[in-house]
Amino acid sequence: MSMDEPRRPDPDALLAATKQPGRGRLKVFLGMSPGVGKTFEMLRAARRRKAEGGDVVVGVVETHGRRETQSLLRGLEVMARRPIEYRERTLLEFDLDGALARRPQLLLVDEYAHSNAPSSRHAKRWQDVEELLAAGIDVWTTLNVQHLESLREVVWKITGVRQRETVPDSALSRADEIELIDITPSELRERMAEGKVYIGDTARLAAERFFKPENLTALRELALRRAAQTVDDQLIGAMKAAGVEGPWAAGERILVLVGPDGAAGALVRTGRRLSDMMMDAPWIVAHVERPNAPPAPAGGQARLNEALKLAEQLGAVSVVLTGDDLVASVLDYARRNNVTQIVVGKSSKRRRNPFRRSLIRALLDEAQGAALHVVTEQGEPEPAPVRHTVPLRAWPWAGHVAAIVLVVVAALLASVTFQVAETANLAMIFMLSVLVSGLAFGLWPALTAATLSAFIYNFFFLEPRLTVRIGHPADVLTFGVFFAVALTTGWLTGRIRDQARAVAQRASAISALLAASRRLSSAAKQDTAAQALAEQLAAATSGAAVVLTPERDDLALTAASPALEALAPGDMAAARWAWEKGEPAGAGTGTLPNSSWTFRPLQGVKARAGVAGVEPKALAAEDNERFVAALLDQGAVALERAEFAAQAADAEALRRTDRLRGALLNSVSHDLRTPLSTVLGSVTTLLDYGKSLKPNVQHDLLQSIREEAERLNRYVGDLLDMTRLEGGALVTRREWVDIRDVLRAAVERVQRRLDKRAVSRDFPDQLSMVKADASLLEQALVNILENAIAYSPDGSAIEVAAYEDRGNVVISIEDEGRGIPTEELERVFEKFRRMEEATDRGKGAGLGLAISKGFVEAMGGRIAAASPIHEGLGTRILISMPKEHTMPGHML
Amino acid sequence: MSANRPRILVIDDEPQIHRFLQPALEAAGYEPIRADTATEGLKEIARKAPDAVVLDLGLPDFDGKEALTKARAFYDGPIIVLSARDKETEKIDTLDMGADDYVEKPFGVGELLARLRVALRHRLQSAGAEPVVTAGDLTVDLVKRLVTRAGHAIRLSPKEYDLLAQLVVGGGKVVTHRQLLTAVWGPAHEDDVQYLRVFVAQLRQKVEPDPASPTLITTEPGVGYRWTA
Repeated sequence: MSMDEPRRPDPDALLAATKQPGRGRLKVFLGMSPGVGKTFEMLRAARRRKAEGGDVVVGVVETHGRRETQSLLRGLEVMARRPIEYRERTLLEFDLDGALARRPQLLLVDEYAHSNAPSSRHAKRWQDVEELLAAGIDVWTTLNVQHLESLREVVWKITGVRQRETVPDSALSRADEIELIDITPSELRERMAEGKVYIGDTARLAAERFFKPENLTALRELALRRAAQTVDDQLIGAMKAAGVEGPWAAGERILVLVGPDGAAGALVRTGRRLSDMMMDAPWIVAHVERPNAPPAPAGGQARLNEALKLAEQLGAVSVVLTGDDLVASVLDYARRNNVTQIVVGKSSKRRRNPFRRSLIRALLDEAQGAALHVVTEQGEPEPAPVRHTVPLRAWPWAGHVAAIVLVVVAALLASVTFQVAETANLAMIFMLSVLVSGLAFGLWPALTAATLSAFIYNFFFLEPRLTVRIGHPADVLTFGVFFAVALTTGWLTGRIRDQARAVAQRASAISALLAASRRLSSAAKQDTAAQALAEQLAAATSGAAVVLTPERDDLALTAASPALEALAPGDMAAARWAWEKGEPAGAGTGTLPNSSWTFRPLQGVKARAGVAGVEPKALAAEDNERFVAALLDQGAVALERAEFAAQAADAEALRRTDRLRGALLNSVSHDLRTPLSTVLGSVTTLLDYGKSLKPNVQHDLLQSIREEAERLNRYVGDLLDMTRLEGGALVTRREWVDIRDVLRAAVERVQRRLDKRAVSRDFPDQLSMVKADASLLEQALVNILENAIAYSPDGSAIEVAAYEDRGNVVISIEDEGRGIPTEELERVFEKFRRMEEATDRGKGAGLGLAISKGFVEAMGGRIAAASPIHEGLGTRILISMPKEHTMPGHML
Repeated sequence: MSANRPRILVIDDEPQIHRFLQPALEAAGYEPIRADTATEGLKEIARKAPDAVVLDLGLPDFDGKEALTKARAFYDGPIIVLSARDKETEKIDTLDMGADDYVEKPFGVGELLARLRVALRHRLQSAGAEPVVTAGDLTVDLVKRLVTRAGHAIRLSPKEYDLLAQLVVGGGKVVTHRQLLTAVWGPAHEDDVQYLRVFVAQLRQKVEPDPASPTLITTEPGVGYRWTA
C-alpha cells in the first residue's frame, strides 16, 4: 500500500453506509406515463436476478394481456391473488399475508399507487409495501410520475385529468433506488398506435386528452426532475457521510397559511415543493382560527382538515393558531419560530371593503425578514372565495368611532332630506345608523350611536334648532320616544351580535381543540407530546408556554415554545409547588404570584404527568381559559400515554438484554468447555492407552493439548479484557509510541498461527509518533490479526500497512478471506457477534473485535471495517489514531 | 456385529474432539468413523451401519433432538449423546426419545468407553434375553419375578418389583424418570418424580448391601437412575 492511493474512506462514513439493518430495500421503476415499459423492465431485471440465483417472487404484476410482458413471467414464481368479494364482484388483490409467509428475498409488486379493495388491511398498496419492507423483504415496484401526491395539481393542470390514486411523496423518498424508465413521447405515441399500450376502458376518453405530445413532454420532464432530485438527495446524504462541507439548508423555515377554502391542498403541495428546493427545509402548515370570523363555507372545515392531514403526510408540522387579528397571529408565530419563507394563497374573487385590507397587503407591510410567496392558483374547481381579510388593527375604541361616523353620515343624510322635504321622518334615518352600529360593532357602540343620535336629532332638527332645548311640548314626547327606541334598538341588536360572536368563538375553540388533540394523540414519544402541548398552549394564549416533566426526583424542562434554556429559580419554585401540591401556582394565583408564569399540574388518568406553565401576553378571556383547561387535560393524557409506551419499550429492551445474556452464557459455556473437553480427552487417552499409541499420535495429542490450553488462555484473557472494558476498570497509560514497532510486535505474536499465510508489511520511512498505550494497542492489533487468520484460507496474504492521513496515523489490516456481508459490517464490532453464524464456531469467542474497538476508543482512536475490498473478497480493518500536535522536544 | 472390530461413528463438529477420540477408539479396539455434521452423520449411519453412534448435541446443522429423531427412524443401534451440563432438558429429551446414554462434556476417554461398552453389551443381552441377573449375592429372576439375597427371598411390593425390573432390564444404561414413571405408574404420572424418590429409597433399603451408600441403584441427578451391577 502506498501513500498516493486515492483518499481512503473515513471510518464514520463507512459505518453510515450500512443503514437500517433488517429493513428491506425498495426500488421504484419510475415512468412518465402508462406504456413506457416499467413493468417490462422490472420483469427483465427480475429474470436477471433470478438467473444469478436470487430468490425472486412475483407478488402482483399487471400484464394487461400483453404478450411480451406475459412471456417474461414464464419461469418466475408468481403468487396467487387473493379474491375479495366487493359489490357482487370478485376482485383479485395482492395477497399480503401470503407474501409475508413466503418471505422471498425480493418481491415484485406492480403499481405502487394502486388502491386496494375495501376490506383489505391497508387502503393503499404502498402501505402493503411498507409492511413488506419492515419485514425485511426487498421490494421492486412501478410508479407513474402523475400519481405523486405533490404533483397532483401540476399534473391536473397539464393534462386536465385528476388522479384519484396517489402516493405520498414520502413513500417515494423511502426508495433506496429509483430507476427511470424513459422513452421519447413520439416513441410512446407510436407504441400507442401499434396498440401496445393498455388503456383502461373507463379511462379511454380521458386518455385521448392525456396522451397529447405536449402533455407527455411535460410529464417526462416531471419524471426526469423527480428522479434527478432523488439522486441529489442521495448525493447530499453521501456527501454528508463523507464529511464534505456543503451548502446545506441555511436555517430556512417555511410557513404555509391555509384556510378552509379550496386552495388549501394546492398551498400545501407548494410548501412541499419549496421545502424540496431548499434541501428539505422544515416547513409548517398553519391555520388561524378567528373567533369573530364568519362561519366557514359548507365543507370548508372538512377541506381544511384534509389539507392539514395532507401536510403531515408530506412531512410538514401542522399547527392551529387562534386570534382575531390574522396578521398579528401569523407574524407573531413566524417571528417566534424563525420563519424565513411565508406562503399564502391569493383569493381569485376581488372583494372591496374599506374596513379590511387584504392579508397579502398586510403581510407585505409588516413581515420583516421573511420572503413572501403568493400562490395565485385557483385550486379545486368548486372553491369558495378565500377569506383572507383582516379587520382594522384591534383597537378597543374602533367600534365607537365607527358608530359615531355612522351617526354623522346619518345626520348629513337627514339634513339633505330636511332641505328637500321637511316632513320626512328624519328619526328613521338615525334609527338606521343605530341598528347598523349594533349589528356591526356590538352593544356599547350601539348605545353610543343611540345617545349621539338623540342629541343630534334634538340639536339640529327639533325647534328651537341649534339648542338642546325643546320648544314644542309634542316634540318632548317625540324626543323621549326616539331616545327610548334608539336605546332599545341599540341594546337588542348589540346583544344579538355579541351572542353570535360568542357562539362563533366557542365553535372555533372547539375546532382548535380538535386539531390540538389530533396532534397530541399522534405524538408517540414524551418529548414530542410535550413539545406539541407547549406549542398549542403558546398559540392559545398568544404567549410563551413550557412543559415540565418529572425526572428522577426533580422536574425537568422538557419542552418550551418559544425555545427556552431554563426557567428562573423563582419560576422553578412555583413549578415545583404546582407539581407537589397538584394546584396552580405562580402569576394570578395565591401562591408565588411574583412569578411571571402560571403553572398548572397536568393531571393524568393515573398520576400527575407533569406541569405546564404559560406566560400570557394578555389576560386570558374566560372562553380561552376553558380552552386552555381542556388542552391541559388532553396534554396530560398524551404525556401519560407516551410514558406508558416508553415503559413498555424499556421492558422490551430488558427482555432483549435477557436474551443476550442467555446467548452469552451459551457462548461462554461452549467456548470454555470445548478446549477443556479436548484437553481432558487427550490427557485421558494418553494415560489409558499411551503405551499402545504410535509416537506420532502421542505427539499429536500433546500438540493438541497445548493448542487448546493456549486457546483457553486466550479466551479467558478476552473475557477479562471485556470485563475490564465494561467495568470501567481500564487504565490506559499514554506514552509516545511508534506504531510500526507495535505492528511488528503484534505480527510476531501471531507468527505461529499463521500457517501458510504470508504477512506483507507496508510502512513508510517517516511516521509520526502517537500517544497510546502500547500493550493495549498491541492486543487490539493481535485480535484483528487473529480474526484475519481465522477467516481467510491457507496460502492467502495478509497485508499490514501504516500511513498518515490528515491529522491521523492510520493502521490498515487486510485479508483475502470471504469478507463480511454489507449488512453485517456495522455489527462486526459487537460482542459475541460470531454466534449468529453457527458454522463459524471454533474460530474464536466473537469478542476479539469488540475488545479491539473498546481499546482503540479508550485511547481516543477510531476503528472501522470495510468489505469486500476487491473482487468480492477480503476485509479491511482501519484504525486511526490522532496525531499529537505537540511533540516532545527531544524527539524532534 | 461386523468384521472383528465394532465400528463406532462419532458425529461432532469440533475437529479437536475427533483428534483424540480417533486414536483412543482405535487403541481400545474399535474402528472409528468420523462425521462433522448431522447430515453427514446420518449418511454414514445409512451407509456403514455402525455398531454404535456417539452424537454431539451441539451440531451446526440440526439440533440434537432432530438429529436423533431422524437417526432413530432407520437405526436401532446404541446412540450415546455428548452434551454440556447446561443443556439439561435437551439431554433428558434425547434420552426419552431413544438415546441409550449420555456423557457430559468435558469427559475422560475412560468414561466414554465404559458407557460404550455397557451400550454394546446391552444390545447383545436384549438380543439373547437374559432372564436371571445377578449382582454380588443378589439375584433377580425376571421370569419368576423373584428377588433373592444369598438364597433368601426378599419381599417386594408389586410396584417396587416393577421399578427394580425396569432398572435391571436397562442393563446399566440410564433410565429416565419419565421412562420409569410411565412404565410403572402409567403415562398419567409421568411427571410425579416424588413417587420415584420414595420407592427408590424403599427399594435401596431392601436390596442394597449398604443402603446409606448405594452401589446397585445409582442416581443420575435430574435425569434418572442406573443399575450399576
